[in-house]
Amino acid sequence: MASMGTPAVVMDNGTGLTKLGFAGNDSPSFVFPTAISTLSASSKTRAGGRASNLSSKRGLEDLDFFIGDEALDAANGPNYGLSYPIKHGQIEDWDHMERFWESSIFKYLRCEPEDHYFLLTEPPLNPPENRESTAEIMFESFNCAGLYIAVQAVLALAASWTSPKVQDRSLSGTVIDSGDGVTHVIPVAEGYVIGTAIKNIPLAGRDITLFIQSLLRDRGEADTSLQTAEKIKQQFCYVCPDIVQEFNKFDQYPTEKFAQYIVEYTERKAKVDVGYERFLAPEIFFNPEICSSDYLTPLPTVVDQVIQSSPIDVRKKLYKNIVLSGGSTMFKDFGKRLQRDLKGIVNERVQRSERLSGVQSSGVEVQVISHKKQRYAVWFGGSLLAQTAEFKSYCYTKSDYDELGPGIVRNFSLFSVP
Amino acid sequence: MLQIEQNNLLIQKTLNERVFPDGEGHKSLDRIITDFDFTTYHISTLPDQKQLILVSIYLKCWDDLVKYGVVEYLNGKYAKYADVLSVLSSKDIESSYNYSLVLDLSQLESKDDEYKTEVIDSLSFLKRHAMAAPFEQAFARYDELAKTYANANTYSEEVQAELQNEKVLVIKYRGSDECIYIKPSFDRVTVIFSTMFQDETDKIFGKVFLQEFVDARKRSVQTAPQVLYSHKEAPLDIQNVVQGSKDDENKGYVTFVLFPRHLVKGDRRDNCISHIQFFRNYFHYHIKCSKAYMHSRMRFRVKEFLKILNRAKPENLDDEGKAIENRKTASGRRFDSGRA
Repeated sequence: MASMGTPAVVMDNGTGLTKLGFAGNDSPSFVFPTAISTLSASSKTRAGGRASNLSSKRGLEDLDFFIGDEALDAANGPNYGLSYPIKHGQIEDWDHMERFWESSIFKYLRCEPEDHYFLLTEPPLNPPENRESTAEIMFESFNCAGLYIAVQAVLALAASWTSPKVQDRSLSGTVIDSGDGVTHVIPVAEGYVIGTAIKNIPLAGRDITLFIQSLLRDRGEADTSLQTAEKIKQQFCYVCPDIVQEFNKFDQYPTEKFAQYIVEYTERKAKVDVGYERFLAPEIFFNPEICSSDYLTPLPTVVDQVIQSSPIDVRKKLYKNIVLSGGSTMFKDFGKRLQRDLKGIVNERVQRSERLSGVQSSGVEVQVISHKKQRYAVWFGGSLLAQTAEFKSYCYTKSDYDELGPGIVRNFSLFSVP
Repeated sequence: MLQIEQNNLLIQKTLNERVFPDGEGHKSLDRIITDFDFTTYHISTLPDQKQLILVSIYLKCWDDLVKYGVVEYLNGKYAKYADVLSVLSSKDIESSYNYSLVLDLSQLESKDDEYKTEVIDSLSFLKRHAMAAPFEQAFARYDELAKTYANANTYSEEVQAELQNEKVLVIKYRGSDECIYIKPSFDRVTVIFSTMFQDETDKIFGKVFLQEFVDARKRSVQTAPQVLYSHKEAPLDIQNVVQGSKDDENKGYVTFVLFPRHLVKGDRRDNCISHIQFFRNYFHYHIKCSKAYMHSRMRFRVKEFLKILNRAKPENLDDEGKAIENRKTASGRRFDSGRA
């Protein structure tokens, strides 16, 4: 086989960001917005048809587009219109997505798809038709050597194997995936997603940023732009064990706790004081009422509900292996706080059942796992699995596709645990 | 997106992040990067010495390239930057790679930004430079021949026979089935690509494309090199050197004839090399792009047909299956029979 030596390509197309890279690397090679800017309709008419030969009958509009950061730049100028082909994790615009992939593969990754295996990701509950369309594009347009489509939550679980806390490399656990737009809590049992138990929380990275921005505005800081709020979120925020105590600490040791963020403009600098938002902003996961008025269930309760609605025989495993993934779970001590709060809920229930039934319970172990690769956990999990020697045997190849048609991608065999 | 760049964007990006660091100190780095035609790069920091970056390249056709003096050519290309970039001798090359360079960041730090960018750019052209070696050699041979035969009667049989026996440079850039053949002569250099199509659809697209290439010269771009295309059968020039499966249905040969005007020394020659060695990638890339375009047209067409189908759906029917159309109120408004 010609493609034995080449590393597999791992592509994680999310709603906000696309992560591209090769299997075996420890971080994605490219991370850019899943955006494409194409010629807008108004400027299409300028192509004239003077010559009569075939090549000049149609222009090169279909090649005139940009993706990623370049797309954002191009959209600022005239002629180009920006669009995001993925909405809520699912591909909406296949024309744009096909071209997005075309550019990612040839321009950014520079590989001949015929020589490489591909690992793509999909959100949980992705309809099988979408998988088929993806396979059609990958095999028919690009002739890729082989394809595997993995569920993001399963890859996030695989990424947690790097943490020393994980003893058995099983594909069972609860994944908390918090990106920019939405937070999912997804239970996975033996590599299969328990679809009925998935819950979404409409609070995620963007809401935290907006919350910080509103706090800055209330105080009348010198700079209250979204970028500043974003930077403050990334650099200063952490999760505290208890809000009241934390307020006290701020009063007692103001010099240590209050911080200052310096915004640099081209000609001058502005100082922005950073105060209580350091711990209040991530707190919206645990006390949503401080920021939102219509969504009031704290994250630990949601996780508990999700696990309680899963089949009873996997619940212990789900409690034992709660894995974080995505940028909005990167706050310091996020995992610790979640573990403590969830333990509280679980212990209370165990005690109540002991009291009511009079039988001693064996106890439920709650463990939240945070690890270094959390930010791009899905991509990293993909890279980890795609570099194994067995990966290629799980893929469907071009000849399988030609023989059986797009329907084959409805089922992929699961990675057996090495 | 019309063209693919010659240089490797990822090498450029990785090294840029290193050379212009973002506050953080030197961290260890270990990355695999690929390029077209089974090319693999490995960029890593040396253990214990994190300011030294090892850049290694693996090329499938390295053994062929060595015959055509690639090592000397590359050494020459990178000699300019000798104070920051050292080429490893053959025994120190990273195992399973073909050519290694070490970039010393501590030396590079004191240089100005322009110089830094230049070094990075030249490294991102590593594959292009490696593939350019045989072309350079063939073109040098052309210079030689052109001088020898400048005043000779090139139509005489002896000269023709001699030229016929001129050595053909063969680069098996994707295994034995897909090769580049370069044959220098006194007034031209012939470059022949053999290419395989994995897929039936690709083959047809490929044929149309190549026909366009052949025709393009007839029309507007007279200065372009002459292009010939033959299916299955190898051109006479190279028939005695063709290896691998002889008459394969999926095989095609594309011949470019480069004339002296393409071979003017300097930028034009470099440009010519860059473009011609990239032909196959460019070609296959555009086949794929056209397929993507076709697909978008098909989706559009399906959407249109669906619209027509929806129009043809009978409107509100009564119990006997007749369309209820003529029941109107006095003011001319229609009854809405429940279905929106």
